[in-house]
Amino acid sequence: MFGAGQSALLSCCETDRGDRVVWRVFRDSVMLIAVCSGGDGTFTELQLCRLLENTWNCMVLILGQEELSNVRNVERLKRDLRSCYRLIDRLLDRGDESVMGDLTHCADCLLPPNTSLLQDALDAFTQASDSEFGCLLIRGRVAVATEKWWRLVSQEVMLLSLLVCCLSGTASCDYPVFLPVGSPTVAHRLLRFQLLQGVDVCTLCGPAPSLHHAETELVGRFWSPLLETLHGCLEQTLHSPVPSVALHPDILALLLINRESSQSLSIPGRPTALTHQDGPPVPSVLRRWELLRLFYTFAVTRYFTSGEVATAPAAAEPLQEDFSQGFCHVPLHCYLVTDECKCYGLQTPQHQLFLLASLAMPTFALRSTATQTLTSITAATGF
Amino acid sequence: MAKNLFRNCANECSSTWRLDEVQASTWKKEEARARASAANHVRFSEQEAEIITEEGRHRGCGGGGGGSDGRVGSKVTPRLKRLAGLLRRKKHGRGEGSPSRPPPSILKNQAVGARHTGQQQQQPILKDVCVYLNPKRLAGTPHLLPESGGLLEALLGVVHRGGRGTGPQRLTVHGLVPNSPASRSGHILIGDVILAVDDVEVTSENIERILSCIPGPTQVRLTLETTAPDGGGCPFVEDEGIRGRGSAAVSQLVRLLWGEDTVELQMAISHIPHVIMYLSLRLDTEPTHEEQEILYQYPVSEASAQLKGVRGIFLTLCDMLENVTGGQIISSSLLLKRQLVHVGYWKEGDNLLVIGLPADRVPLIYLQSVVEGVVRTLRVMYGSLDSAFCEEDNSPRLDHFFCLFFQQLIQPSRLIDSPTTPDVSGTLFLDGLPAVRWLTLPPEIKVEVDTVLSDFEAADFGDMSEDFYGMRRLYVTLGSCLFYKGYLIANHLPKEDLRDVCLYCQHYSLLPLAAEQRVGQLVIWREVFPQRRALHSPPLGYAEPLGRYFLLIVGLRHLMQCVLLEAGGCASAVEGAVGPDCVYVDQVKATLLQLEGLEVGMEERLNAPPAPCLSCADWFLPSGAGPQRSLSDSGSEGGHVDVGGAAMPPSPGSTPDSARKTPPATSASAFVRRDSLGSGGSDGSGGSGSLFRTPKLKHPNPFYLGSLRKSLTERETEEMNSTLKLTSGLENTLFHYVLMESVQGVFIAPTHRDMAQLSGTIHPQLIRNFHHCCLSIRAAFQQSLPPRERRDMSRQHGGLGPVKEHGVLFQCKPENWTDQKKPAPTMTYWVIGRMLLEPIPQEFYVCFHDSVPEVPVEMAFRLSFGLAL
Repeated sequence: MFGAGQSALLSCCETDRGDRVVWRVFRDSVMLIAVCSGGDGTFTELQLCRLLENTWNCMVLILGQEELSNVRNVERLKRDLRSCYRLIDRLLDRGDESVMGDLTHCADCLLPPNTSLLQDALDAFTQASDSEFGCLLIRGRVAVATEKWWRLVSQEVMLLSLLVCCLSGTASCDYPVFLPVGSPTVAHRLLRFQLLQGVDVCTLCGPAPSLHHAETELVGRFWSPLLETLHGCLEQTLHSPVPSVALHPDILALLLINRESSQSLSIPGRPTALTHQDGPPVPSVLRRWELLRLFYTFAVTRYFTSGEVATAPAAAEPLQEDFSQGFCHVPLHCYLVTDECKCYGLQTPQHQLFLLASLAMPTFALRSTATQTLTSITAATGF
Repeated sequence: MAKNLFRNCANECSSTWRLDEVQASTWKKEEARARASAANHVRFSEQEAEIITEEGRHRGCGGGGGGSDGRVGSKVTPRLKRLAGLLRRKKHGRGEGSPSRPPPSILKNQAVGARHTGQQQQQPILKDVCVYLNPKRLAGTPHLLPESGGLLEALLGVVHRGGRGTGPQRLTVHGLVPNSPASRSGHILIGDVILAVDDVEVTSENIERILSCIPGPTQVRLTLETTAPDGGGCPFVEDEGIRGRGSAAVSQLVRLLWGEDTVELQMAISHIPHVIMYLSLRLDTEPTHEEQEILYQYPVSEASAQLKGVRGIFLTLCDMLENVTGGQIISSSLLLKRQLVHVGYWKEGDNLLVIGLPADRVPLIYLQSVVEGVVRTLRVMYGSLDSAFCEEDNSPRLDHFFCLFFQQLIQPSRLIDSPTTPDVSGTLFLDGLPAVRWLTLPPEIKVEVDTVLSDFEAADFGDMSEDFYGMRRLYVTLGSCLFYKGYLIANHLPKEDLRDVCLYCQHYSLLPLAAEQRVGQLVIWREVFPQRRALHSPPLGYAEPLGRYFLLIVGLRHLMQCVLLEAGGCASAVEGAVGPDCVYVDQVKATLLQLEGLEVGMEERLNAPPAPCLSCADWFLPSGAGPQRSLSDSGSEGGHVDVGGAAMPPSPGSTPDSARKTPPATSASAFVRRDSLGSGGSDGSGGSGSLFRTPKLKHPNPFYLGSLRKSLTERETEEMNSTLKLTSGLENTLFHYVLMESVQGVFIAPTHRDMAQLSGTIHPQLIRNFHHCCLSIRAAFQQSLPPRERRDMSRQHGGLGPVKEHGVLFQCKPENWTDQKKPAPTMTYWVIGRMLLEPIPQEFYVCFHDSVPEVPVEMAFRLSFGLAL
């Protein structure tokens, strides 16, 4: 890029209308540029940076780092990159608005009622398929996963979930993947089986077992007894990933992040129809998730540390300014009142909670609602 | 450069000095001593500052004596009488001297002559002054034009503005070039007349010839005619020592204004990347030389050279982004030698202004405000960026301007002599507000100040009016504003004009100057281009006259008055560069002297306890061992929730001694507390929109009743005059506040003195933190506001939408907590910003302890009603 010769590295720029351009060079070989226009779907700088990182990780996931950093034939690379398009499209498109892993870099989770049953089945299934990495996904969110799976970097978990979603539609598949952080040069096999519509199980394994063997023998053996349970889970988590918790009716949506395990829960509030009609207008469901994303970005860029910093503190170069560095005291909570809704964010050593409330909720009640919600969720689920 | 300094230097009115001296003679010795030690005389001409240290200025004998500070107020009348007498005499003198002269120039140019007739009524005193001249110093200077002052200015450092007459003129000293032999000698005063050089009689005709005959470094003896007693006759013997200190005490700020240490200061920050460039976007096909597109650049240092090297990026980005997205680039970030640099852009016509600043000094969210401030200031000063940067003559002035600009942002500690660490965020935030710091005065003083200012402004129609001399007046006074120690105390200017004036003052650090020390005299005169006319299209049917506008700033001691004058329109038009008119300067100075009588009242106001009482953060944080704050956690419901570790976990190991468990109320009552309840006025909070319309509260809300009760009690107590307390509850939990009134363009905040009184270790941190947070809050308000031109567009915008209120809860711990057994006590506090659009647009930023939930709207109302802003 221009300026490289002068040892200047351009990272981003912005226009008066909110258009943004962000540059990133990865491994000194590939430069990714993200351009977004202002107006309706404004992206913040953080969102664009995450997008570029995710895109690069997608490319590594599918092609491996070797091929990307030592490019011998550009034309061939271009052709190879086509296989990533589906995944990148998914990042740009965000099929399910409430899945926020691409922004938070945390694994979107689901807390079904009978976890232990599923956990046991998954552990046994994974072991039988000669692997330690196994995961059960419901609607693109991690329902249960083996202990080793959680040891993967949260971005990998997020990307694998995304990949599984992309690949769904077939009954099973065997897909070679590189892990962007764990093993960027050695490919593993990702075995994925669709148990029900919207329920997938996957394992990361070596040469054995074959897809055929796993599909015909292992899946049937471990999962067919649990089909009823899975059906139940699928239905119960239709409206909320945490069916056991009832939210305050004025809460429109919330995002809860466990900072230690890098897991997140995004819980929608009551649907619009059920909220009282005489109050101030309530934003649509899509807009709620958009607002929540924006609020998360706002709070994380200014006050809180993003989840990523906790896991990987050794950021090589400060490509983004850290506004929160300027504070000599620690920000704990923050809130915003806008024309559409009220937002409240709080951070504890263990959790981060971002909450969207309707205008009907008085501002001074936000804090108590947020803290109560956090306690009730953590108490009920142990998240 | 020196010869250019005083091109338009003041036709300085020597009689003003005498006014000064007469007044000084009534002062007590201590007063005079204080002045001698602290006062510096500052004069600006166009942009250049001249500061004459008090050293050379000798007071008249302390004959009058005896007016102690406390009695100055009672002495106002006699002094004013004397003042009036002087003014009258001066005017008479002018009246006598003028009739033979052609009328059109009477006020502007021949006042000098007229003054002489006035002067001669007094006994002239001759004095000899030896100065050391070194003509070799001028070796580098190419040619000296007589218009620019010639050798008199370049060699001796005396500024003399010749009149229109062709014959020989007396050489009156109209100004002194900073750091020149004349100003260094300290005995040549403005208003003196140079009669002879080494016993050779000189006039304006032969002075250049005589000075050019000086072959090498030598000492020459000047014979001066002065009206101020000088030399050994000075009655204050002890002044000698003081004076020595006086010159040493010239603060860094003054020296910088003087333009003295710029190189050294600039060196100190040369490793920090910062740059300002004005680039041409017109790319000629065949550039004649390498750096043709750089129209202006500052500074020339290593780090900035790197930024200069990558200017191609800036040009390309500007061009490319406009092509790709259709928007104008406003900012970009780049990494230079592992240091993040934010670059702000401003495009005007075919040229691009680029300002690069290190990210750790100016956060990206506030960069645009900084750039807008610079652009507006330059526009006020030069009319447009093009006229500022494209004229060669301006570049030394711009260098000085940007030197000050970068110093203020990058190493403010060098400018302010205070030991406390400067609050960069605070400066950024407060200077970035489109408002000026306002000091509320007691009504009786306010009325008097306003009357005096109005009298001054109306002097247009007194004996300064057209009828008096039968000629068109030179300037119309559009309005003026008055600062006391850097606080605005009266303003008769429209908001946008006030903003222009203040931007100018801020960039030249004039406000802190007057706050820090007594200014001997400061006169600034420059043409300005008020942005009000550029920003708003005139209402239909009325257009303001197309005139030229001049800004006159006169500072005297702690007072500073800024006057906006209009030439053209109904006053006579002016052509070319004009210097300050002495009549107007005199008038302002007389006004300031008159106002000085009220200074006692202003000082009293400054010394009064803070009007909404403030608490110090340290009081809430027991150092070592102190009360547990059960109160402070009551904000978070239930108490069983550990909100970010805010609530203290019980410490099983330590024995809970009862002394530590004193109820917080008593612990707090030990501190400054007023039991007065807040003033009324919260009734207005009914208009605060949907915030309080909470008809269907499903959950019982503990705060709801509380706030009801609170407002009831307030309605009962209707004494407005009782001391204002912003927060509710027994304890006063208010730490800090800033209330900006957008309509008048002023803001109020606790005074520096209030803050200094609340000393402590945590409190200054808290203030810094508050300001840093305010940067973010204000940025959120700004971002959500659509740009002016797009206001009519659909409400469907992508961002979070218009932010009305934004708050952040902070937690702090005492530093170096030694007790290993117990966790450090914590204190939590809110910083909340609230934007109000009704009934009047306001922005309110407040910082208070977490113990009582507050409704910022109510606080804002209470504050603005209580202070009758």
